[in-house]
Amino acid sequence: MKSIFYKEWIKIKWTFLAFLVLGIVGHTIMFLKVRHDILFVDAVNYWYSFLFRGYPYFSILKFLPLVAGLGIAIAQYFPETLNKRIKLTFHLPVGENEILLKMHAFGASSLTAMFVFFFVIFVSGSYIYFPAEIIKPSLLTITPWFLGGLATYFITALILLEPIWLYRGLYTITGAGFISFFYMYGTIGAYKPVIISLAVLTLLISTGVLFSGYRFRKGEM
Amino acid sequence: MIKLSRYILVLVGIIVAAFAIPKLYWTIFEKVPVNPTVFYSCMIDDFIILGSEKTGPGERMDGQGNRMTLAEYEKAMPLMFFRQLMTDGNMPDSINGVPMEPMVINRANSFYRYTPRKINTPVPSLYPMLESQSGKVNLAMPDDYFRIGKRMEFIVAKTNKVDEAKSLKFTEALENKGFAFPARLIAGIPTTRKSKDEGYFVTDSNEQLYHIKMIKGEPYVAHIETPEDLGIVFIECVDLRNSEYYCYLFTRNKGIYVVMDEVYDLQRLPVEGIDPFSQEIRINGDLFNKCITVEGSNWLKATAIDDMYEIVDTHEETWKGRYERSDGKILSALVPFEVSLVSPESVFIRFYFQKSPGYLWIFSSVAALLISLFIMMRRKMELKSNLIDLAIVAITGLYGLIIIFIFPNKFR
Repeated sequence: MKSIFYKEWIKIKWTFLAFLVLGIVGHTIMFLKVRHDILFVDAVNYWYSFLFRGYPYFSILKFLPLVAGLGIAIAQYFPETLNKRIKLTFHLPVGENEILLKMHAFGASSLTAMFVFFFVIFVSGSYIYFPAEIIKPSLLTITPWFLGGLATYFITALILLEPIWLYRGLYTITGAGFISFFYMYGTIGAYKPVIISLAVLTLLISTGVLFSGYRFRKGEM
Repeated sequence: MIKLSRYILVLVGIIVAAFAIPKLYWTIFEKVPVNPTVFYSCMIDDFIILGSEKTGPGERMDGQGNRMTLAEYEKAMPLMFFRQLMTDGNMPDSINGVPMEPMVINRANSFYRYTPRKINTPVPSLYPMLESQSGKVNLAMPDDYFRIGKRMEFIVAKTNKVDEAKSLKFTEALENKGFAFPARLIAGIPTTRKSKDEGYFVTDSNEQLYHIKMIKGEPYVAHIETPEDLGIVFIECVDLRNSEYYCYLFTRNKGIYVVMDEVYDLQRLPVEGIDPFSQEIRINGDLFNKCITVEGSNWLKATAIDDMYEIVDTHEETWKGRYERSDGKILSALVPFEVSLVSPESVFIRFYFQKSPGYLWIFSSVAALLISLFIMMRRKMELKSNLIDLAIVAITGLYGLIIIFIFPNKFR
């Protein structure tokens, strides 16, 4: 168990740290800009543009989770597909599904941990400048972006482990359609009624990797 | 477990297909929908309909179906086109004995449009309380925003802290008038770009209506008597030039009321069967009449009323709805349902499920089922282990047919 986690950590270590730094830099830039704009236009007007003009101060974060999910999935699963290395793992005296699920769980939890960390920075930074009435709708707006990051991770893993190129293409088209659900254009807080359904779908899609993992280890079908 | 993971992928794939295929179809084949506009003319005492299904877009006709030229239309609507008619020298000196003064005409003209997107939308919970009698010509934004939760609180934007003294003053003023915290609806015109400030119209947790504003730094609160169980679901304040009324009150199923300026009398607009969650409402007013148009997806009903709010005339229009036109009919025959994340009636993003009207889709679902059977037999797949897949195709038609082969059912 420990050894699997260690092996996975070695693979994603640098990518993980790179996105962590990128996220911290992103949040820093965002809050520096908020500070700058509030200084220039006054907090009253800055709040006004959020409340009545729908100007989100956090749009810089929109695709950060998506890229992070994509990056971590590639770092973790791409090396396994080179020379079909993952087959070695499948020869270990442990259930094949079990080992794949553990790898997957490790990747997903690292990503979740990173996202939770970003959430904490986001909320604590926002509390300096804004009241709860602004922070709450902001969180409702960024939550689907972060869920989309996790969904991107699960779907990229599914695509990478698929052995046949044609199906990789088909999964990419379907997957891209699914990911687009998380990044629709909408006003602040518009995602509120759908967040739970999207979270359930994301959780369900996490098992998808078992399917392409199975096809991978059975080789060409 | 692996089979289950495949069914999950198939389920998600079908949702994606049911979202993407109709979206692509509509983008390519959708026809410009009929969208008539109705006005009431004080000259011909009849309705004028623009762009009805009978005349086509850009054309005009009167309530009897007679086509009108642009010149006739302008003459019939002198209160709307008075500047054009005055330039041409065709403006009558008086209508119905009322002399025509541009200032007077202008003050009486009003256009209001309500769409269900105004109610199905996230609403802010902070509002600015402007000073309504500052003695200055221009209105000014305050330094704080208020919220009405367990009490009424003002938050100073610069410090992001509550102004205790002001909050206490307003909370007490509200309590003295019997306000039950928290507020349900808060409606005002939160901008300085209006002729005057009238503060906010607020319903409390007992659905009682209040008018709250700030006069020389002091709270002004008035409780407005309403008929019992009015069920107000939306309030829209308006800034009418003739200050006839403060706002519209939309109720769940008792129609629309206006709150008259100064006296707070409620006047019901004489239009029945309004559903603010799905219908669009337009109110065009002029010196003599108001024309209230209620519009559903493929019909509208216009009611003209006089300045005493009595019905003068009514008119109904219908046109082919989305699924009665050829583009919609073809799609509803091809697929059993559509999934969308956006809706013309709501700002919220959610899964909007739309079953195809009619039963033609049954044929395409049967065809999809036969095609998948044919493919399975050609590939010598065992039918017994594909029964669930066939059931999926039977229910989801074209979508299922595509998706079950994208995630092939091959296990050994």
